Amino acid sequence: MTVVEPVGSGGAIGGVPMESRSEDERFRGVLKRDRDEVFVEYTKSICPVCKTVVDGQVNIRDGKVYLRKRCREHDWFEALVYGDAQMYLDSARFNKPGTIPLTFQTQVRDGCPSDCGLCPEHKQHACLGIIEVNTGCNLDCPICFADSGHQPDGYSISVEQCAAMLDAFVASEGEAEVVMFSGGEPTIHKHILDFVDLAQARPIKAVNVNTNGIRLASDRRFVAALGDRNRVPGRAVNIYLQFDGFDERTHLEIRGRDLREVKRRALDNCAEAGLTVTLVAAIERGLNDHELGAIIEYGLAHPAVRSVSFQPVTHSGRHVEFDPLTRLTNSDIIHGIAAQRPQWFQASDFFPVPCCFPTCRSITYLLTEGIPGEADFGLAPIPRLLKVEDYLDYVTNRVMPDDTVREALEKLWSASAFMGTDTTAEKLAAAAAALDCADACGINLPEAIAHLTDRAFMIVVQDFQDPYTLNVKQLMKCCVEEITPDGRLIPFCAYNSVGYREQVREHMSGSSVADVVPNAAQLQPLLTSSPYGSKIARASAGRDGRGAVAPDATNVGRRIR
Amino acid sequence: MKPLIDRGTAARAKACCAAAYGSDVVALLLGDSYHPGGLALTRRLATRLNPRAGQRVLDVASGRGTTALTLAAEYGVEVTGVDLSDSNVALASAAAQAAGLAGQVRFQVGDAERLGADASWFDAVVCECALCTFPDKPTAVGELARVLKPGGRVGITDVTADPDRLPPQLTGLGAWIACVADARPLHEYAALLAAAGLRVTHTERHDQAITAMVDQIEARLTLVRMTARKRAEALGLDFDRAPAVLAATRAAIAEGVLGYALLVADKPGHVADKPGHVADKPGSVYGEEWGQHIPEETSNGPDESRSAGGAGAAAVRWGGPRVEPGGRAGQ
Repeated sequence: MTVVEPVGSGGAIGGVPMESRSEDERFRGVLKRDRDEVFVEYTKSICPVCKTVVDGQVNIRDGKVYLRKRCREHDWFEALVYGDAQMYLDSARFNKPGTIPLTFQTQVRDGCPSDCGLCPEHKQHACLGIIEVNTGCNLDCPICFADSGHQPDGYSISVEQCAAMLDAFVASEGEAEVVMFSGGEPTIHKHILDFVDLAQARPIKAVNVNTNGIRLASDRRFVAALGDRNRVPGRAVNIYLQFDGFDERTHLEIRGRDLREVKRRALDNCAEAGLTVTLVAAIERGLNDHELGAIIEYGLAHPAVRSVSFQPVTHSGRHVEFDPLTRLTNSDIIHGIAAQRPQWFQASDFFPVPCCFPTCRSITYLLTEGIPGEADFGLAPIPRLLKVEDYLDYVTNRVMPDDTVREALEKLWSASAFMGTDTTAEKLAAAAAALDCADACGINLPEAIAHLTDRAFMIVVQDFQDPYTLNVKQLMKCCVEEITPDGRLIPFCAYNSVGYREQVREHMSGSSVADVVPNAAQLQPLLTSSPYGSKIARASAGRDGRGAVAPDATNVGRRIR
Repeated sequence: MKPLIDRGTAARAKACCAAAYGSDVVALLLGDSYHPGGLALTRRLATRLNPRAGQRVLDVASGRGTTALTLAAEYGVEVTGVDLSDSNVALASAAAQAAGLAGQVRFQVGDAERLGADASWFDAVVCECALCTFPDKPTAVGELARVLKPGGRVGITDVTADPDRLPPQLTGLGAWIACVADARPLHEYAALLAAAGLRVTHTERHDQAITAMVDQIEARLTLVRMTARKRAEALGLDFDRAPAVLAATRAAIAEGVLGYALLVADKPGHVADKPGHVADKPGSVYGEEWGQHIPEETSNGPDESRSAGGAGAAAVRWGGPRVEPGGRAGQ
């Protein structure tokens, strides 16, 4: 499964005997070669097969960014992490100092990523907490990072466990912005509404329900119950709706079922109940990456939809065979959006999010009016109206820009920003106020500005890391955390890639769970199927008898003699 | 140099531009980005000029004061801003007051072709997106050169245009685009500076900056249409014609007919050894420290060659024995 040869090993002088008299002759005409890549970072990652922590290096080759690493047992691995090297490098200045959470749940013992979490070395608090309420699902999608489905040996959390998990989140955050209920499929948990109530009874401003929409399409009483909770003052309930595109093939290959009518009915029911929806699209190369523009356009036209989130398929859990060297990345999605709707977008409309590591997530906001295709439709990306880089560049800016605007943009360009929450609405209003030129130009737009936030639309591009792409540098500043039943807050990508998901499932279900291995083309000879449809290493048992999550094999702590 | 339009037309364009930059509609469309490239390009220009704290800087066509205030805040220089428009001067003065920089920056109504300042008074002169609007460019550039101290630097960013190939639609988008009617190709700006006795040390193309500005104007047109269509139309905005005009502008940029450029030149002679004083003692000769005066044109990559100005300026600032490349002090 070796995917790359170490560049420059061996080489022209290998094996030349040291005969001093003829050295001149031997080396005449023998030229040293340049590497075909620029080495830009040294980091840590994991072996995708055995999850051992290994040294990693980030290189730029042919204008693209790659992470390469070697496991002593399983050899070399390489994956594309950013399709546009210039954007990758430019993003570095959109990085802000992290905020220290009120509590840490673990101690530093073995180092990142083996101590999650959060350990005191973590660089950021939790902008978003995720509670997976079950492993069961009413679908068995070919693509599911959580490896969920109709499974006999999963688990679902109790009301008491949910309360304790929410308490752990609040203990860490104080007043928290958003908790997301996920799964599995959270809407099939019999206590899901109780869970929403538990969250609303705590200082947590918004609840997101992450769903495939099947129950929303068929159970209008349930949708209405969520709508009622969305009207609790100071508390919001929003829907994070899996929505991958419009081609039948997209549905069959990602979800295993044609869900187009289900999605339509779910959205209409949400609109009727006054619920705000984010369309969440898992995008795979060659499958639905041509549908980016259409998904945005559909969202702009639907009264319930206020944002779209594009996520390159995470090659954690269950997924179709892929090539790590040509996987989709954030910049590919951004360039794709610009190419598919050039009349609306260009790549520079998207800005990296400074609260997490800036290469993880990019966002843009639009002000819109009307319905796409109709005569009076208008769309203006906010970054063309406001110099976002003047506010979100924390590294090279020498002059502090307007605090109110910076604070607003900081909240908008963060992992806690969701359309439909009070915080996001307030911060959009503050940003919109900065567009008003009442002082400068006489045409002020007071009443229009007041309603601008009703016309705002958000587009998020988020590349979650998998066992191939995991970079500890990014993980250490992750601000999206999985809240576990034992009260830990584990960075989402560590949870999915390093072995924590398997650890928690094994503990909660009592059934042995093997470490999931990416279904990469290069790894096929090593792989076999797990009971849940994901891939695991052949001859792999459960976690029984093994030591810590992600043992460390990086080159630290040992002398050479 | 062949004028694109006769003097009378050019004079009207200048008045029109000043009025346009002072007008509500233009402010509405341009927002905070008062010129292509915005603050980022202003900062890039400032890095090239690298003025010392306490030095005197002249901002010609200072508009609403953004360049002047940025230079004052980030470099600690004293800035005089000159602008044709009364209302701009009033607004810029208010902005200086609000920023607590009124003691450091002052704005006055004035004409680039007849600057009131004494000869050799300023350590640096900046002129952003304005030279293209001056009808008598040789006179204006001569004035910039006259008020600059020997050894001082002038920094210019401006619209470039190939006048013979400008599409006719570009006279249509309100007043702003009329301002570019007398823009010149980059080499003509360089020749203008040279004719005034300045030595062009650096030029860069920033055509993307003008594309970004067109995008911004388009977005603001959309915003205004969404929020205040009637009022904007009453002020003369023609929403139906705008798309064709914007498309023609984009095409002109793509074809190299329209663009944006940055130029830096210095005035031969002795360098002032103290801030705020005309050089009256022998000092290091600026030109020799730069080594060569052949303009090098670079592309508009984000960060290349920033250090060149810094190194030269550092040698001037410290004034001690110069360290030669080999590491030994000069003999």
